[in-house]
Amino acid sequence: MPQPASESPSHSDVAARAERRWAIVMLGIIALLVAMVVFTGLHWAMMPPSRVETVDPATLQLSGEFTEANLGSAVEPDGSVTVRIVGQQYSFTPQCIVVPAGTPVTFRVTSADVIHGLMIMGTNINSMIEPGFISTFKTTFDKPGDHQMPCHEFCGTGHQAMWANVKVVEPSAFTQLADHARRLTCDL
Amino acid sequence: MTHLRKPWWRDRIVGGSLATLAMLLLLSGVVGFVWLPSAQNDARFKGILDAICGAAGIPRGWLADAVPPLPTPRHVSTVVLTPDTLSHDAPGSIGRGGTLALKCTMCHGLRGVSTSETPSLAGQQSASIYKQLRDYQTGARSSAVMEPLVKDLSDQDLKDLAMFYGSLPREPARDLGNAPDIVAFGSPTRNIAACGSCHGGMTSKLGAPWLDAQPRAYLRTQLLAFSHGTRRNDTSAQMRNVAANMTPQEIEQAVEYYGSGR
Repeated sequence: MPQPASESPSHSDVAARAERRWAIVMLGIIALLVAMVVFTGLHWAMMPPSRVETVDPATLQLSGEFTEANLGSAVEPDGSVTVRIVGQQYSFTPQCIVVPAGTPVTFRVTSADVIHGLMIMGTNINSMIEPGFISTFKTTFDKPGDHQMPCHEFCGTGHQAMWANVKVVEPSAFTQLADHARRLTCDL
Repeated sequence: MTHLRKPWWRDRIVGGSLATLAMLLLLSGVVGFVWLPSAQNDARFKGILDAICGAAGIPRGWLADAVPPLPTPRHVSTVVLTPDTLSHDAPGSIGRGGTLALKCTMCHGLRGVSTSETPSLAGQQSASIYKQLRDYQTGARSSAVMEPLVKDLSDQDLKDLAMFYGSLPREPARDLGNAPDIVAFGSPTRNIAACGSCHGGMTSKLGAPWLDAQPRAYLRTQLLAFSHGTRRNDTSAQMRNVAANMTPQEIEQAVEYYGSGR
Protein backbone atom coordinates (compact mmCIF):
# COMPACT_ATOMS: atom_id res chain seq x y z
CA MET A 1 0.00 0.00 0.00
CA PRO A 2 1.57 3.30 -1.02
CA GLN A 3 2.24 5.74 1.81
CA PRO A 4 0.70 9.23 1.61
CA ALA A 5 3.31 11.72 0.52
CA SER A 6 3.37 13.65 3.81
CA GLU A 7 4.26 10.57 5.81
CA SER A 8 7.22 9.50 3.73
CA PRO A 9 10.32 9.42 5.96
CA SER A 10 12.21 11.89 3.83
CA HIS A 11 9.44 14.48 4.18
CA SER A 12 9.20 14.16 7.95
CA ASP A 13 12.96 14.50 8.12
CA VAL A 14 12.68 17.74 6.20
CA ALA A 15 9.98 18.97 8.57
CA ALA A 16 12.10 18.04 11.59
CA ARG A 17 15.09 19.90 10.24
CA ALA A 18 12.99 22.98 9.54
CA GLU A 19 11.53 22.89 13.01
CA ARG A 20 14.93 22.55 14.56
CA ARG A 21 16.20 25.53 12.61
CA TRP A 22 13.22 27.56 13.70
CA ALA A 23 13.78 26.54 17.31
CA ILE A 24 17.44 27.57 17.11
CA VAL A 25 16.54 30.95 15.60
CA MET A 26 13.91 31.54 18.29
CA LEU A 27 16.32 30.52 21.02
CA GLY A 28 18.85 32.87 19.56
CA ILE A 29 16.38 35.76 19.61
CA ILE A 30 15.40 35.08 23.21
CA ALA A 31 19.02 34.76 24.25
CA LEU A 32 19.79 38.07 22.56
CA LEU A 33 16.89 39.79 24.36
CA VAL A 34 17.98 38.41 27.73
CA ALA A 35 21.53 39.51 27.00
CA MET A 36 20.25 43.03 26.24
CA VAL A 37 18.36 43.09 29.52
CA VAL A 38 21.48 41.98 31.37
CA PHE A 39 23.65 44.58 29.63
CA THR A 40 21.29 47.51 30.21
CA GLY A 41 20.60 46.31 33.75
CA LEU A 42 24.27 46.13 34.69
CA HIS A 43 25.69 49.04 32.73
CA TRP A 44 22.86 51.54 32.39
CA ALA A 45 21.04 50.74 35.65
CA MET A 46 17.86 50.22 33.66
CA MET A 47 16.58 47.58 36.07
CA PRO A 48 13.29 48.80 37.54
CA PRO A 49 13.97 49.43 41.22
CA SER A 50 10.91 47.51 42.49
CA ARG A 51 11.25 48.99 45.93
CA VAL A 52 7.61 48.59 46.85
CA GLU A 53 6.61 50.25 50.09
CA THR A 54 3.12 51.33 51.06
CA VAL A 55 1.82 54.31 53.04
CA ASP A 56 -1.67 55.71 53.71
CA PRO A 57 -1.96 58.85 51.55
CA ALA A 58 -4.79 60.33 53.67
CA THR A 59 -2.79 60.41 56.90
CA LEU A 60 0.66 61.49 55.71
CA GLN A 61 0.39 64.72 57.71
CA LEU A 62 -0.40 63.01 61.02
CA SER A 63 2.63 60.86 61.75
CA GLY A 64 5.54 59.05 60.20
CA GLU A 65 8.22 60.45 57.95
CA PHE A 66 6.02 62.60 55.67
CA THR A 67 4.77 65.05 58.29
CA GLU A 68 5.38 68.66 57.37
CA ALA A 69 8.11 69.09 59.97
CA ASN A 70 10.04 66.10 58.63
CA LEU A 71 10.07 67.05 54.94
CA GLY A 72 13.31 68.19 53.33
CA SER A 73 16.87 66.91 53.60
CA ALA A 74 18.03 65.02 56.67
CA VAL A 75 21.63 64.07 57.44
CA GLU A 76 22.02 60.40 58.38
CA PRO A 77 24.60 59.06 60.87
CA ASP A 78 26.61 57.53 58.00
CA GLY A 79 26.93 60.96 56.34
CA SER A 80 24.44 60.24 53.56
CA VAL A 81 21.41 62.46 53.05
CA THR A 82 17.74 61.43 52.95
CA VAL A 83 15.36 63.80 51.15
CA ARG A 84 11.63 63.51 51.79
CA ILE A 85 9.15 65.13 49.44
CA VAL A 86 5.36 65.18 49.21
CA GLY A 87 3.75 65.81 45.84
CA GLN A 88 0.22 67.12 45.76
CA GLN A 89 -2.00 69.07 43.39
CA TYR A 90 -0.16 71.33 42.33
CA SER A 91 3.16 71.66 44.07
CA PHE A 92 5.98 69.75 45.68
CA THR A 93 6.75 70.33 49.35
CA PRO A 94 9.45 71.44 49.91
CA GLN A 95 9.59 73.61 46.81
CA CYS A 96 13.33 74.03 46.89
CA ILE A 97 15.38 70.94 47.71
CA VAL A 98 18.97 71.36 48.79
CA VAL A 99 21.49 68.49 48.65
CA PRO A 100 25.29 68.25 48.83
CA ALA A 101 27.39 67.25 45.81
CA GLY A 102 29.42 64.04 45.93
CA THR A 103 27.34 62.55 48.72
CA PRO A 104 24.97 59.57 48.54
CA VAL A 105 21.41 60.89 48.52
CA THR A 106 18.26 58.83 49.04
CA PHE A 107 15.01 60.34 47.82
CA ARG A 108 11.78 59.28 49.49
CA VAL A 109 8.74 60.68 47.73
CA THR A 110 5.02 60.07 47.93
CA SER A 111 1.78 61.67 46.79
CA ALA A 112 -1.07 62.96 48.91
CA ASP A 113 -3.70 62.78 46.17
CA VAL A 114 -3.22 61.57 42.60
CA ILE A 115 -0.40 60.10 40.51
CA HIS A 116 2.39 62.61 39.99
CA GLY A 117 5.82 62.23 38.48
CA LEU A 118 9.24 63.62 39.18
CA MET A 119 12.30 64.10 37.07
CA ILE A 120 15.41 66.05 37.93
CA MET A 121 16.57 67.67 34.75
CA GLY A 122 20.16 67.01 33.72
CA THR A 123 20.21 63.71 35.64
CA ASN A 124 18.71 60.28 35.09
CA ILE A 125 16.41 60.62 38.11
CA ASN A 126 12.91 59.95 36.92
CA SER A 127 10.12 58.31 38.86
CA MET A 128 6.39 58.12 39.18
CA ILE A 129 4.92 59.33 42.47
CA GLU A 130 1.89 57.27 43.38
CA PRO A 131 -0.53 57.80 46.24
CA GLY A 132 -0.25 54.86 48.63
CA PHE A 133 3.35 54.07 47.70
CA ILE A 134 6.74 55.51 48.60
CA SER A 135 9.12 55.97 45.69
CA THR A 136 12.68 55.41 46.91
CA PHE A 137 15.68 56.09 44.75
CA LYS A 138 19.35 56.68 45.40
CA THR A 139 21.79 58.88 43.60
CA THR A 140 24.94 60.94 43.99
CA PHE A 141 25.15 64.37 42.35
CA ASP A 142 28.64 64.78 40.95
CA LYS A 143 28.84 68.59 40.90
CA PRO A 144 27.07 71.63 42.35
CA GLY A 145 24.36 73.24 40.25
CA ASP A 146 20.70 74.09 39.96
CA HIS A 147 18.18 71.70 38.47
CA GLN A 148 14.50 72.03 37.78
CA MET A 149 12.27 69.22 38.92
CA PRO A 150 8.96 69.20 37.01
CA CYS A 151 6.03 66.88 37.55
CA HIS A 152 5.96 64.83 34.36
CA GLU A 153 2.79 62.82 34.90
CA PHE A 154 -0.41 64.67 34.01
CA CYS A 155 -2.03 65.25 37.40
CA GLY A 156 -4.91 67.63 36.67
CA THR A 157 -5.70 71.08 35.33
CA GLY A 158 -2.83 72.74 37.22
CA HIS A 159 -0.24 70.15 36.19
CA GLN A 160 1.86 72.52 34.10
CA ALA A 161 2.50 74.74 37.15
CA MET A 162 3.84 71.90 39.29
CA TRP A 163 7.60 71.85 39.65
CA ALA A 164 10.32 72.39 42.22
CA ASN A 165 13.99 73.35 42.30
CA VAL A 166 16.88 71.12 43.27
CA LYS A 167 19.95 73.00 44.41
CA VAL A 168 23.13 70.94 44.60
CA VAL A 169 25.68 72.74 46.80
CA GLU A 170 29.25 72.12 47.93
CA PRO A 171 29.36 69.66 50.85
CA SER A 172 30.92 72.34 53.08
CA ALA A 173 28.06 74.75 52.38
CA PHE A 174 25.59 71.97 53.11
CA THR A 175 27.28 71.18 56.40
CA GLN A 176 27.00 74.84 57.41
CA LEU A 177 23.28 74.78 56.63
CA ALA A 178 22.88 71.52 58.55
CA ASP A 179 24.27 73.16 61.69
CA HIS A 180 21.22 75.41 61.83
CA ALA A 181 18.34 73.05 61.08
CA ARG A 182 17.64 69.36 61.32
CA ARG A 183 15.62 69.30 58.09
CA LEU A 184 16.96 71.44 55.29
CA THR A 185 15.24 73.16 52.41
CA CYS A 186 16.08 76.22 50.34
CA ASP A 187 12.47 77.47 50.42
CA LEU A 188 12.29 81.23 50.70
CA MET B 1 3.02 5.28 11.93
CA THR B 2 5.36 3.98 14.64
CA HIS B 3 6.64 7.45 15.56
CA LEU B 4 3.07 8.66 16.28
CA ARG B 5 2.50 5.93 18.86
CA LYS B 6 5.12 7.38 21.14
CA PRO B 7 3.56 9.82 23.67
CA TRP B 8 4.08 13.37 22.41
CA TRP B 9 6.42 14.43 25.16
CA ARG B 10 8.83 11.65 24.25
CA ASP B 11 9.10 12.91 20.72
CA ARG B 12 12.68 14.05 20.26
CA ILE B 13 11.84 17.46 18.87
CA VAL B 14 8.92 18.26 21.13
CA GLY B 15 10.66 17.00 24.24
CA GLY B 16 13.88 18.73 23.33
CA SER B 17 12.10 22.02 22.73
CA LEU B 18 10.25 21.77 26.02
CA ALA B 19 13.41 21.03 27.91
CA THR B 20 15.17 23.96 26.26
CA LEU B 21 12.24 26.27 27.02
CA ALA B 22 12.25 25.20 30.66
CA MET B 23 15.96 25.91 30.88
CA LEU B 24 15.46 29.32 29.28
CA LEU B 25 12.72 30.13 31.75
CA LEU B 26 14.92 29.11 34.64
CA LEU B 27 17.85 31.08 33.26
CA SER B 28 15.72 34.21 32.70
CA GLY B 29 14.31 33.82 36.20
CA VAL B 30 17.79 33.72 37.68
CA VAL B 31 18.80 36.75 35.62
CA GLY B 32 15.69 38.80 36.48
CA PHE B 33 15.12 37.80 40.08
CA VAL B 34 18.61 37.11 41.39
CA TRP B 35 21.43 38.45 39.26
CA LEU B 36 20.19 41.90 38.24
CA PRO B 37 18.56 42.77 41.60
CA SER B 38 21.75 41.70 43.41
CA ALA B 39 23.75 44.04 41.21
CA GLN B 40 21.91 47.04 42.69
CA ASN B 41 23.62 49.16 45.25
CA ASP B 42 21.10 48.41 47.96
CA ALA B 43 21.60 46.15 50.96
CA ARG B 44 18.02 45.00 50.75
CA PHE B 45 18.54 43.35 47.37
CA LYS B 46 21.48 41.24 48.65
CA GLY B 47 20.99 37.53 49.29
CA ILE B 48 18.84 35.27 47.15
CA LEU B 49 15.63 35.62 49.15
CA ASP B 50 15.94 39.43 49.43
CA ALA B 51 16.70 39.74 45.73
CA ILE B 52 13.72 37.63 44.71
CA CYS B 53 11.31 39.42 47.07
CA GLY B 54 12.60 42.83 45.97
CA ALA B 55 12.29 42.05 42.28
CA ALA B 56 8.84 40.55 42.78
CA GLY B 57 7.71 43.79 44.46
CA ILE B 58 6.84 42.47 47.92
CA PRO B 59 5.95 45.61 49.96
CA ARG B 60 8.33 46.30 52.83
CA GLY B 61 10.33 49.07 54.46
CA TRP B 62 13.18 50.30 52.31
CA LEU B 63 14.80 52.66 54.76
CA ALA B 64 15.47 50.87 57.99
CA ASP B 65 18.25 52.87 59.63
CA ALA B 66 17.20 56.46 58.94
CA VAL B 67 17.14 59.05 61.69
CA PRO B 68 13.68 59.05 63.32
CA PRO B 69 11.12 61.59 62.08
CA LEU B 70 10.92 64.92 63.87
CA PRO B 71 7.95 65.36 66.19
CA THR B 72 4.94 67.14 64.72
CA PRO B 73 4.34 70.60 66.17
CA ARG B 74 0.98 71.09 67.83
CA HIS B 75 -0.33 73.68 65.40
CA VAL B 76 -0.55 71.50 62.34
CA SER B 77 -3.81 70.39 60.78
CA THR B 78 -4.69 66.87 61.86
CA VAL B 79 -7.80 66.56 59.71
CA VAL B 80 -8.00 63.49 57.52
CA LEU B 81 -10.11 64.18 54.45
CA THR B 82 -11.18 61.43 52.10
CA PRO B 83 -14.12 61.41 49.70
CA ASP B 84 -15.97 59.35 52.33
CA THR B 85 -15.35 61.66 55.29
CA LEU B 86 -18.78 63.27 55.04
CA SER B 87 -20.73 60.87 52.89
CA HIS B 88 -21.83 58.29 55.47
CA ASP B 89 -23.62 60.70 57.71
CA ALA B 90 -26.59 59.73 59.74
CA PRO B 91 -30.02 60.83 58.49
CA GLY B 92 -31.06 64.12 60.04
CA SER B 93 -27.55 65.46 59.85
CA ILE B 94 -28.59 68.55 57.89
CA GLY B 95 -31.46 69.28 60.29
CA ARG B 96 -29.25 69.00 63.35
CA GLY B 97 -26.66 71.15 61.62
CA GLY B 98 -29.36 73.76 60.95
CA THR B 99 -30.18 73.91 64.64
CA LEU B 100 -26.53 74.19 65.64
CA ALA B 101 -26.05 76.88 63.00
CA LEU B 102 -28.31 79.25 64.94
CA LYS B 103 -25.13 80.18 66.84
CA CYS B 104 -23.44 81.12 63.58
CA THR B 105 -26.08 83.37 62.02
CA MET B 106 -24.84 86.53 63.75
CA CYS B 107 -21.76 86.64 61.53
CA HIS B 108 -22.36 84.19 58.70
CA GLY B 109 -25.91 85.32 57.86
CA LEU B 110 -29.33 83.80 58.44
CA ARG B 111 -29.02 81.47 55.46
CA GLY B 112 -25.25 81.34 55.23
CA VAL B 113 -24.84 84.50 53.14
CA SER B 114 -22.63 86.87 55.05
CA THR B 115 -23.14 90.62 54.98
CA SER B 116 -19.95 91.39 56.87
CA GLU B 117 -16.30 90.50 56.45
CA THR B 118 -16.87 86.89 57.51
CA PRO B 119 -17.06 84.30 54.76
CA SER B 120 -20.35 83.18 53.24
CA LEU B 121 -20.98 79.52 53.88
CA ALA B 122 -24.10 78.83 51.80
CA GLY B 123 -23.39 76.03 49.35
CA GLN B 124 -19.76 75.81 50.43
CA GLN B 125 -18.00 72.44 50.07
CA SER B 126 -18.93 70.49 53.20
CA ALA B 127 -15.45 68.96 53.43
CA SER B 128 -13.86 72.43 53.51
CA ILE B 129 -16.17 73.67 56.26
CA TYR B 130 -15.54 70.55 58.31
CA LYS B 131 -11.78 70.87 57.92
CA GLN B 132 -11.72 74.50 59.03
CA LEU B 133 -13.98 73.81 62.02
CA ARG B 134 -11.73 70.94 63.13
CA ASP B 135 -8.66 73.12 62.67
CA TYR B 136 -10.18 75.85 64.86
CA GLN B 137 -10.89 73.19 67.45
CA THR B 138 -7.34 71.81 67.51
CA GLY B 139 -5.73 75.24 67.26
CA ALA B 140 -4.22 74.58 63.83
CA ARG B 141 -6.09 77.68 62.65
CA SER B 142 -6.53 80.50 65.07
CA SER B 143 -9.38 82.93 65.52
CA ALA B 144 -10.38 84.63 68.72
CA VAL B 145 -14.03 84.37 67.67
CA MET B 146 -14.22 80.90 66.18
CA GLU B 147 -12.10 78.96 68.67
CA PRO B 148 -14.41 79.42 71.69
CA LEU B 149 -17.47 78.76 69.51
CA VAL B 150 -16.31 75.34 68.34
CA LYS B 151 -14.46 74.32 71.47
CA ASP B 152 -17.23 72.19 72.94
CA LEU B 153 -18.72 70.77 69.76
CA SER B 154 -18.40 67.06 69.00
CA ASP B 155 -16.98 65.71 65.77
CA GLN B 156 -20.51 64.81 64.67
CA ASP B 157 -21.66 68.39 65.43
CA LEU B 158 -18.96 69.71 63.11
CA LYS B 159 -19.99 67.29 60.40
CA ASP B 160 -23.66 68.23 60.80
CA LEU B 161 -22.80 71.94 60.50
CA ALA B 162 -20.73 71.24 57.41
CA MET B 163 -23.54 69.21 55.86
CA PHE B 164 -26.09 71.93 56.66
CA TYR B 165 -24.15 74.76 55.09
CA GLY B 166 -23.21 72.58 52.14
CA SER B 167 -26.92 71.96 51.50
CA LEU B 168 -27.87 75.64 51.22
CA PRO B 169 -28.14 77.21 47.75
CA ARG B 170 -24.88 78.66 46.52
CA GLU B 171 -24.42 81.89 44.65
CA PRO B 172 -23.98 81.09 40.95
CA ALA B 173 -20.33 80.69 39.95
CA ARG B 174 -18.91 83.36 37.72
CA ASP B 175 -17.84 82.84 34.14
CA LEU B 176 -14.09 82.19 33.94
CA GLY B 177 -14.04 84.02 30.62
CA ASN B 178 -13.72 87.36 32.41
CA ALA B 179 -11.21 86.09 34.95
CA PRO B 180 -7.74 87.62 35.28
CA ASP B 181 -4.82 85.45 34.21
CA ILE B 182 -3.94 84.44 37.75
CA VAL B 183 -7.39 82.89 38.21
CA ALA B 184 -7.76 81.30 34.78
CA PHE B 185 -4.18 80.28 33.98
CA GLY B 186 -2.06 80.85 37.06
CA SER B 187 1.60 81.43 36.28
CA PRO B 188 3.14 78.06 35.41
CA THR B 189 6.66 79.42 35.03
CA ARG B 190 6.51 80.69 38.60
CA ASN B 191 5.03 77.54 40.07
CA ILE B 192 1.52 78.99 40.49
CA ALA B 193 -1.42 76.86 39.38
CA ALA B 194 -4.58 78.67 38.32
CA CYS B 195 -6.90 79.47 41.27
CA GLY B 196 -9.67 77.89 39.23
CA SER B 197 -7.93 74.52 39.06
CA CYS B 198 -8.75 73.83 42.72
CA HIS B 199 -11.31 76.43 43.82
CA GLY B 200 -13.95 75.83 41.16
CA GLY B 201 -14.46 77.25 37.71
CA MET B 202 -12.31 74.59 36.08
CA THR B 203 -12.07 71.81 38.65
CA SER B 204 -12.36 71.48 42.38
CA LYS B 205 -10.31 69.63 44.93
CA LEU B 206 -11.38 67.92 48.12
CA GLY B 207 -10.92 70.40 50.96
CA ALA B 208 -10.53 73.46 48.72
CA PRO B 209 -13.44 75.88 49.17
CA TRP B 210 -15.39 77.74 46.53
CA LEU B 211 -14.25 81.33 46.55
CA ASP B 212 -17.01 82.99 44.55
CA ALA B 213 -18.71 85.94 46.21
CA GLN B 214 -16.62 85.89 49.37
CA PRO B 215 -15.94 89.23 51.09
CA ARG B 216 -12.89 90.94 49.66
CA ALA B 217 -11.36 91.74 53.03
CA TYR B 218 -11.56 88.10 54.05
CA LEU B 219 -9.98 86.82 50.84
CA ARG B 220 -7.17 89.36 51.05
CA THR B 221 -6.41 88.64 54.70
CA GLN B 222 -6.26 84.89 54.14
CA LEU B 223 -4.13 85.05 50.98
CA LEU B 224 -1.67 87.34 52.72
CA ALA B 225 -1.66 85.09 55.80
CA PHE B 226 -0.82 82.09 53.62
CA SER B 227 1.87 83.97 51.74
CA HIS B 228 3.51 85.21 54.98
CA GLY B 229 3.16 81.80 56.58
CA THR B 230 1.07 83.10 59.45
CA ARG B 231 -1.76 80.75 58.51
CA ARG B 232 -0.40 77.21 58.40
CA ASN B 233 -3.35 74.81 58.52
CA ASP B 234 -3.11 73.88 54.83
CA THR B 235 -1.98 70.27 54.73
CA SER B 236 1.65 69.88 53.56
CA ALA B 237 1.82 73.62 52.75
CA GLN B 238 -0.45 73.20 49.75
CA MET B 239 -1.78 76.76 49.75
CA ARG B 240 1.31 78.43 51.26
CA ASN B 241 3.37 77.12 48.32
CA VAL B 242 1.06 78.94 45.91
CA ALA B 243 0.45 82.14 47.83
CA ALA B 244 4.15 82.65 48.60
CA ASN B 245 4.86 82.89 44.86
CA MET B 246 2.06 85.36 44.10
CA THR B 247 2.88 89.03 43.64
CA PRO B 248 0.85 91.64 45.56
CA GLN B 249 -0.78 92.57 42.22
CA GLU B 250 -1.84 88.99 41.58
CA ILE B 251 -3.28 88.71 45.07
CA GLU B 252 -5.26 91.89 44.47
CA GLN B 253 -6.50 90.63 41.07
CA ALA B 254 -7.68 87.33 42.55
CA VAL B 255 -9.40 89.17 45.41
CA GLU B 256 -11.11 91.55 42.98
CA TYR B 257 -12.34 88.70 40.80
CA TYR B 258 -13.66 86.45 43.53
CA GLY B 259 -14.78 89.21 45.88
CA SER B 260 -18.49 89.81 46.22
CA GLY B 261 -20.08 92.89 44.69
CA ARG B 262 -20.09 94.77 47.97
